[in-house]
Amino acid sequence: MSTAATLPRRAAAPSAAAASARRYAAFAARRTGQALIVVVLAYVLVFLVLAAIPGDPISAQLDSPQAGYTDAEKAQIRSFHGLDRPVLVRLLISLGNAVRGDLGLSLSTSQPVTAVLGAAIPSTLALAVTALVLAVLIAAVLGLLSRLLPEGPLNGFVRALPTVFLSTPNFLIGLVLIQVLAVNLGLFSLVDPDSAGSTLAAALTLAIPVSAQIAQVLITALDDSAGQDYAEVAASRGLPPAQVVLRHLLRPSLLPTVTVVGLVLGEVLGGSLITETIFGRTGVGTVVQKAVAAQDVPVLLVAVVLSAAVFVVVNLVIDLLYPLLDPRLRGTEGTR
Amino acid sequence: MSILEGTQGSTDGTAREPAPPVPLLQVSGLSVAYGDTDVVHDVSFSVAEGSALALIGESGSGKSTIARAVLRLLGARRARVDGSIAVQGRELTGLREAEFLPLRGRVLGFVPQDPGSSLNPVRSIGAQALEAAALVPGARRRADREALVRGALERVGLPDPQRIIDSFPHQLSGGQLQRVLIALAILPGPRLLVADEPTSALDVTVQKQILDLLDDLRRELRIGVLLITHDLAIAAARAEEVVVLQDGSVQEAGPTAQVFTAPRSTYTRALQADVPGLNPDRFAGLRAERDERHPLTGDAFPTDAPQVQVSDVSRTFRSRDREVRALDGVSFAIPRGRTHALVGESGSGKSTAARALLGLETVDAGSLTVRGRAVDPTDRRALREVRRHLQIVHQNPFTSLDPRFTVERIVREPLDLYRVGDRAEREERAAWALEAVRLPEALRSRRPGTLSGGQRQRVAIARALALRPDVLVLDEPTSALDVTVQAGILEVLLTLQRDLGLTYLFISHDLGVVRQFADTLTVLRRGEVVEAGTVDRVLSDPREEYTRQLINSIPARRDTTEVPA
Repeated sequence: MSTAATLPRRAAAPSAAAASARRYAAFAARRTGQALIVVVLAYVLVFLVLAAIPGDPISAQLDSPQAGYTDAEKAQIRSFHGLDRPVLVRLLISLGNAVRGDLGLSLSTSQPVTAVLGAAIPSTLALAVTALVLAVLIAAVLGLLSRLLPEGPLNGFVRALPTVFLSTPNFLIGLVLIQVLAVNLGLFSLVDPDSAGSTLAAALTLAIPVSAQIAQVLITALDDSAGQDYAEVAASRGLPPAQVVLRHLLRPSLLPTVTVVGLVLGEVLGGSLITETIFGRTGVGTVVQKAVAAQDVPVLLVAVVLSAAVFVVVNLVIDLLYPLLDPRLRGTEGTR
Repeated sequence: MSILEGTQGSTDGTAREPAPPVPLLQVSGLSVAYGDTDVVHDVSFSVAEGSALALIGESGSGKSTIARAVLRLLGARRARVDGSIAVQGRELTGLREAEFLPLRGRVLGFVPQDPGSSLNPVRSIGAQALEAAALVPGARRRADREALVRGALERVGLPDPQRIIDSFPHQLSGGQLQRVLIALAILPGPRLLVADEPTSALDVTVQKQILDLLDDLRRELRIGVLLITHDLAIAAARAEEVVVLQDGSVQEAGPTAQVFTAPRSTYTRALQADVPGLNPDRFAGLRAERDERHPLTGDAFPTDAPQVQVSDVSRTFRSRDREVRALDGVSFAIPRGRTHALVGESGSGKSTAARALLGLETVDAGSLTVRGRAVDPTDRRALREVRRHLQIVHQNPFTSLDPRFTVERIVREPLDLYRVGDRAEREERAAWALEAVRLPEALRSRRPGTLSGGQRQRVAIARALALRPDVLVLDEPTSALDVTVQAGILEVLLTLQRDLGLTYLFISHDLGVVRQFADTLTVLRRGEVVEAGTVDRVLSDPREEYTRQLINSIPARRDTTEVPA
């Protein structure tokens, strides 16, 4: 409080900011390293689980009497796919190849796995990203309306919407959207599932239940902020109510909201499978579905590790966002 | 200073009236109800320009509701407000929101209770200050706003405005934050400041500085102050007029000197009798009886065979880039049947000392003994034996009791843990403890949620008593309670000491209570002992500047010297 105490600190202020930036860089590097380790561990775990499943499509094909292979031919084919080696050796080879970008061949189509998934990823990525953006937008609108609308039936309606969204089945939303938008209004063609209109409709189907979860957390967080002293004090200074919401309530509410966005990502990935089926799209969901049916282990392995990697990356981004959103998490090395 | 005057002029231009007798704030027949419950009933008072009026009352008296009714911050709570609130002769109650908005900040300023939670934690002080400055008419350019902010921060005694502007709330102390909030409140040049317990969350020396600041602003800027406080001593020292509230109704009102020297209502008299700072000898009788029953063998500060002995204890907390010496060579001893107070502000190390004594904290150096047994956190068996004779009463009775348990079960729990006797005996002992703290029998099967703060603290004391300990650590046991409740709790504790010869380690920041309650004290500051001795000696003849500062911060001392006029 005294000048003597504050002056030295003032002089040290720039270096304190630099130290804080250094700490953040170290924190980001450490978190990124941890994320990489998680992806590698996921690869190992998925590989071992898939290897432990009894039987594989090659053995099934080779052993069936109709195929008519000789034992020597069988052994040759097995050895070509590396199936005659111990699991751990196969794991190490597979990992080594993966690091070099070689993800193996699909067992059912003999195409490279990268090609099989590479063809499917853009469609799914477009769907998932659009869905996530839509979900966040819908949630933001609902959240803000819940605070900006005066208390009354309309506000009550806005606050009830997330529950309605959550309890409506995904496929029902999809079918209604198709019926209304494509069949009745003719806004997009059912023939071309990759058209912008179709993608948007599919993304909306996916986004609605996901937005509900985000909106619920956001509304609760906004209400919580609204009850805090700083909201009352800001209002007492003459800040108009809408500005109190935008300037004082929103940012503290982002922390839990961002957290839940990371959590609902699983829903987006899982939901994309159903949505792709409803809208007749070919995406990662369809590929995975076929791979499961055909016991196509290399494709499954990469698809599962890929979803794990998406999870890890999104949560890494969220972790790195925390200190930026809340200055209280900055100073002390961000040990969260 | 000049900046502030400039903005004042711009707001006054519309509101200034030539008629002098119109008070700044006139509240008449104000009633506030939430649903069917009346919280404020027919309250009237007025505040003149440049003067201060204090609304005094305990929790639930409706004083904060009145403040929020004036500021129209009852909002979401669906309150019904009847009666009249007029500022500068203009009736406020009928105004629409849009008409009231320009009055916020520019005419009516607000200084909140808890500075720690009253600024947005995720935004810098600068961002929030500029936002406040942007609401001042005339401050169009950013440079004007920055100048306004700097001027206001300097005016409230923050000598390095740039550092404050660059900081986030969690990087400043409570006193600095309260100065920032006052700066933001005076920045648009309001005519009335409503200060709701502006210092109850602050250390005593800081409390004095903040109240002095409010006094200065009031005189210099001719601002009227509506001061909400539970602390009679603060009201006595700072306000020209007081209104005493109980259960939402005015008990007494008038000039401060008159209300305090010749209180007419029994409630004011009772309230006054319970203020520690005004009644240093309140428990002298009880303490004399205790001294008779448990005479000391040595002198007042004995060294032989004390119940508690703390010798040369040090403890340093280290984090990556900081080192804090929480305790630095602290020693004290407490004889049987006496009370030793550890006094200090936040960060002084008093809580660390208590935690170390309880074996909850390891120490770097020194020794702690209770009844001759060493406290050693690494030896769990020995620690359990020590703790049987050493119990604690926590500061906050609202969080220290398990809400799912009945009162009886809470008090019996330590007996169950130590497997004392059979079930009948434990129940008997629990009943005895509840009897000892004078908790009505009807409350024993209730859960804490239905009890008042004072009742809860009695339960906490009963729980500590159940094992019949010899030593109690009292960690600010009354700081969360109203003065009348506090007086009751202190009386129970002194009666127990008289009857059972208990030894107390009393942690407190309130020298007024210490003077009533303790025999010896140690003044701590940043982990070091500033001064130690008997309470009488240290308070009447302090040898250190810091101790003098603490004593001067007891608000009532100003009252006793100034008010009888």
